Amino acid sequence: MPTLTPRRARRFLPRPALACAAVLAVGVALIPLVYLGIRVGQAGWGRIADELFTARTGDLAGRSVALAGVVTAACTVLGVAAAFLVTRTDLPARRVFGVLAALPLAVPSYVAAFAWVSLAQGFEGFWAAALVLTLVSYPYVYLPVAAALVGVDPAQEEVARSLGRGPWQTAVGVTLRQVRPAVAAGALLVALYVLSDFGAVSILRVDVFTRAVFTAINLGFDRTGALVLATVLVALSALVLLAEQLSRRRAARYARLGGGAPRPPTRLRLGRLRWPAVLGLAGVLGAALGVPAVSLVRWFGEGVSRPGSLGELADAAGNSLGVALLGTVLTVVLALPVGLLSARVPGLLAVALDRLAYLSHALPGLVIGLSLVFFGINVAYPLYQSVWLLALAYAALFLPLAVAAVSAAAAQAPPGLEEVARSLGRRRAYVLRTVTLPLAAPGIGAGAALVFLTCMKELPATLLLRPTGMNTLATGLWTHTSVAAYAAAAPYAALLVLIAAMPTWWLSARTGVLTRTGG
Amino acid sequence: MAELRITDVRKAYDRIQALSGVDLTVRSGTLVAVLGPSGAGKTTLLRCIAGFETPDAGEIRIDGRRVATRGASVPPERRRIAVVPQEGALFPHLSVLGNVTYGLGRSARRAGRAATVLELVGLAGFEGRMPHHLSGGQQQRVAVARALAPHPPVVLLDEPFNALDAALRAELRRDVRQALRADGATAVLVTHDQAEALSVAEEIAVMRDGRIVQSGPPELLYREPADPWVAGFVGEAVWLPATADGDRAHTPLGTIRLTPVEGRLPTGPMRVLLRPEQITLAPPGDPDAIAATVVRRDFYGHDAMLVLRLTDGTHVTARIFDPAALPPAADDEVALRVRGTARMFPPSARPGATPSHP
Amino acid sequence: MGTPGMRPLLAAALAGLLALGATACGSEQTAQAEPEAGSDKKITVYSGRSESLVKPVLEDFQKASGITVQVRYGDTAQMAAQLQEEGNRSPADVFLAQDAGALGSVAGQGLFAKLPNEVLDKVPAAYRDEDGEWVGVTGRVRTMAYNTDQVPKGDLPESVFELTEPEWKGKVGIAPTNGSFQAFITAMRVEHGDERTEDFLAGLKANDAQIREGNAPIVADVNSGMLASGLVNHYYVYELAKEKGTTVDALKAKNHFFPNGDIGSLVNVSGVGVLDKADDDPDVRKFVDYLLGKGAQTYFAEQIYEYPLINSVVTAPGLPSLVSLNAPDIDLNDLDDLRTTIEMIKESGLV
Repeated sequence: MPTLTPRRARRFLPRPALACAAVLAVGVALIPLVYLGIRVGQAGWGRIADELFTARTGDLAGRSVALAGVVTAACTVLGVAAAFLVTRTDLPARRVFGVLAALPLAVPSYVAAFAWVSLAQGFEGFWAAALVLTLVSYPYVYLPVAAALVGVDPAQEEVARSLGRGPWQTAVGVTLRQVRPAVAAGALLVALYVLSDFGAVSILRVDVFTRAVFTAINLGFDRTGALVLATVLVALSALVLLAEQLSRRRAARYARLGGGAPRPPTRLRLGRLRWPAVLGLAGVLGAALGVPAVSLVRWFGEGVSRPGSLGELADAAGNSLGVALLGTVLTVVLALPVGLLSARVPGLLAVALDRLAYLSHALPGLVIGLSLVFFGINVAYPLYQSVWLLALAYAALFLPLAVAAVSAAAAQAPPGLEEVARSLGRRRAYVLRTVTLPLAAPGIGAGAALVFLTCMKELPATLLLRPTGMNTLATGLWTHTSVAAYAAAAPYAALLVLIAAMPTWWLSARTGVLTRTGG
Repeated sequence: MAELRITDVRKAYDRIQALSGVDLTVRSGTLVAVLGPSGAGKTTLLRCIAGFETPDAGEIRIDGRRVATRGASVPPERRRIAVVPQEGALFPHLSVLGNVTYGLGRSARRAGRAATVLELVGLAGFEGRMPHHLSGGQQQRVAVARALAPHPPVVLLDEPFNALDAALRAELRRDVRQALRADGATAVLVTHDQAEALSVAEEIAVMRDGRIVQSGPPELLYREPADPWVAGFVGEAVWLPATADGDRAHTPLGTIRLTPVEGRLPTGPMRVLLRPEQITLAPPGDPDAIAATVVRRDFYGHDAMLVLRLTDGTHVTARIFDPAALPPAADDEVALRVRGTARMFPPSARPGATPSHP
Repeated sequence: MGTPGMRPLLAAALAGLLALGATACGSEQTAQAEPEAGSDKKITVYSGRSESLVKPVLEDFQKASGITVQVRYGDTAQMAAQLQEEGNRSPADVFLAQDAGALGSVAGQGLFAKLPNEVLDKVPAAYRDEDGEWVGVTGRVRTMAYNTDQVPKGDLPESVFELTEPEWKGKVGIAPTNGSFQAFITAMRVEHGDERTEDFLAGLKANDAQIREGNAPIVADVNSGMLASGLVNHYYVYELAKEKGTTVDALKAKNHFFPNGDIGSLVNVSGVGVLDKADDDPDVRKFVDYLLGKGAQTYFAEQIYEYPLINSVVTAPGLPSLVSLNAPDIDLNDLDDLRTTIEMIKESGLV
């Protein structure tokens, strides 16, 4: 006989199990913030004031924000334009472009920056860094926008055309407006990524905040100073998050209404713009993929150093795959409750957790690494310098990527289906396993692919947390470049890019840019 | 088979009161339609019964067993109440068989329950199809089969025929009703379509602003609505000013007999309700006939609606059933008479909302 | 949830978050040191020195002693931060560092054990910690790398201070975020005072010194002609030659050693410190002895062109000896005031 379950608690906390799991998961992403809080607290006010209230701090913050702003704007333009060209126009070879356009995501920023520096003399400074960062991070905008453009209901465009709007007016006024949530989500990731990047800005010598954090440690062995400075990055990302939240407004409700199969979208004729568009896109891809490729070949050809052995290289590749996979699984598992909560129980708690998961996303990998050293030493000592703690660091770093994917995917499995399933006598866990997750699987898979390739590229936290003696492709690359053995480093870089390119390929294929309909 | 008893159920979202004290009893094995305009709280009521929502107050019992009361609730998976949602909500990744057997235990699966219910809804042999290969009507049938498969004592249907075209809707309605009967389930159908409610339900509960304003058999509701709003909502209404006098009333359409309300027959100014089909064309030479002019004619094939102007300027609507004779056209002069009795309401009662013609 | 191995991790994460608040308040020093009893034929080395430079030495030691060496490679400064974060629970027995500053910062946290005198005495006093908590292993000399096409031999400066003069405008590369540069600036402060050092830094800035992220890019740019000269450590030209598959003589980049004990040719060291918990570990002691033994010192001298710090081993051919360099008389223990140096470099606008 079923019994009555008291629900008083649920008035304040709907779905308590899910909410608790989500809080726990976000807790992992908060480890770096807790660590920062503790260390900065120990520093004392005098020290904090000394570090923070200087003209240089303001200068650095200004440059960080400017760089993030410029790169985000450029990525938005480039990502949206590329996505529009491959999904909505009669661009020649658009399917080839559709896949290639996502591949720069597989190139680590430090590899891209190094490639540019070694090819172009005197290539450095703010605009150089802005260019390189744009080239490696515009796919964060391109991928979701391309997927959204494929899914937009053409009916609204047809209405706009019938009301007398021209094709380009319609594209800007109706089509692009509908994919605004996808643009905003991508832009947010770009902005936070640029704030946290150290590889490109250090090689291209732009004085931004991450560089100051590293300098404090490298110049002065000054951990405390570095961490105090890192708090500014948290503040900056809070600002970025706030801006994004404000820009969202009602954007999330642009979803297509009603049933029936969506029709393939109409394609614009480019006309005289056809070949300029091809050249433009090819130019971007040449800069983003060609320059690193040429550089790697040159490194390999000009130097005589070689990796220790093919076995060493294979070993590093195996380790990279292993830790990236483990990190991905852990990140996605932790992202599930957070994403499900924001898709199913939208409200203050869900929004707060979602935003908190992003808050440490702008911290450089070094700070995340140190925080996990702290966590491992003081809390989870048996896991210290095991792959588990490294995986936990990846989760802390990349949780937002997975959370965004899960909550978008969970929206693909309407809550009505879960209710029907429960009314058929099935428990929540069973419903999650048999209905929600199978339906959300493709979207979650996309998030997993993104997390995976980002884990592959990660260096600073990997250096601090990997098990003693374990080499990955990223650490191997670092080992050789740190003694200027670029020829030995080249195979590591090439293999890293190739392996990261595989999930990237899959990501772009699933956006639907490869479909033949509507051509 | 089970009796569903709902007592003073209340539910608010933020400051919006969706249910403000609903009382409803559904006898075992009957099909009750909850009829109301959108926003009346029908779906909230259904969700409270299913267990998707917990009422703020009141209680819900199934066969005397309490499943929901203030602040406590049996989770939906333990209520044995099946739901057929709007547009079916089939699991898109499961075949027809997978959908139908979703709520079945192993023994029921082996016993061939899926084939039985699929046959009941007329989809025998469709087991292997995927939902996106089915038409809308077929999807709805699978949803019904899925709901009936585990022998639920209570089945809830949430506007299940909404998305279908008229002909398909009537057919499916009949079949679903039959399937429910065959299975002996107690059923609650939520709908805003009064024709659907009148035709399919054994009893109707009319809902407005979070309350049940009247419930009873369809004929009673149609003929003796509790207030002008119900009168207008369950069917087309013709309102006439009148002066009551004993069991009769004097109206612009002549003197009409009144339906007694709880045995009382007040006198004085009144408003009376007629249904359009009560106004007919008078045979030639009828001494009591009332003269009128046709203002507009809407022809439907099996019948026609006439908008008529009486000599004093009052407009009335008449439904004419006479497929043999050519109905009158606009500007024709006709003679009218009234059949049956009229229901009276106080003159201040607010006029009913006019529902669209089905 | 997922793989079975995930469970302990999640449990730990949960436990961790609950415990974090409680243990957080400055407890990193409260952990007890692991008791270490006798030889277990295993040591863990944190190496801030590159794998390609020290791996052969570690392998030789392992072969000779039968002691398994677990090595963790990393950036010297970041490793110092990691060691400080790990405190007494560090898995490390030994820290092999690129420069004295990093060793000093770890020693400053009280994490190193005092080394025995017979170890310390192998190395001149200038190249070891005055409290005996770390000892130098190899020496590296600050030099000026110059492009032979762009700087005629006769124009080479006598003193590093000349580089602030107009004829060097835009021609000098420096790596101000690099530890060796910073040690060199600290030495300048010790030798010539803060005021003169500030002037020197301001002069570099005003003279449009070219900033690079490290020594290797400076030497590469000098060799390619992108830079006329740069302040680096002496061994970078050897690394570049090795990568190009050629000899130092074939390069356009050459080392210029400032003569007459000029501060521009400061001798700095890479060194080693033993973590407190490994104080009594005979395996660790053997390792430190090995690093300061003839075999390892010869390797450092001949294979990676660094300066041996024990008497019995001579400098590689082609390098001026430490004695002939007439290196400035600076005690590395005096180079501990890093904070002021950093402030100065920051204020100069070079970083």
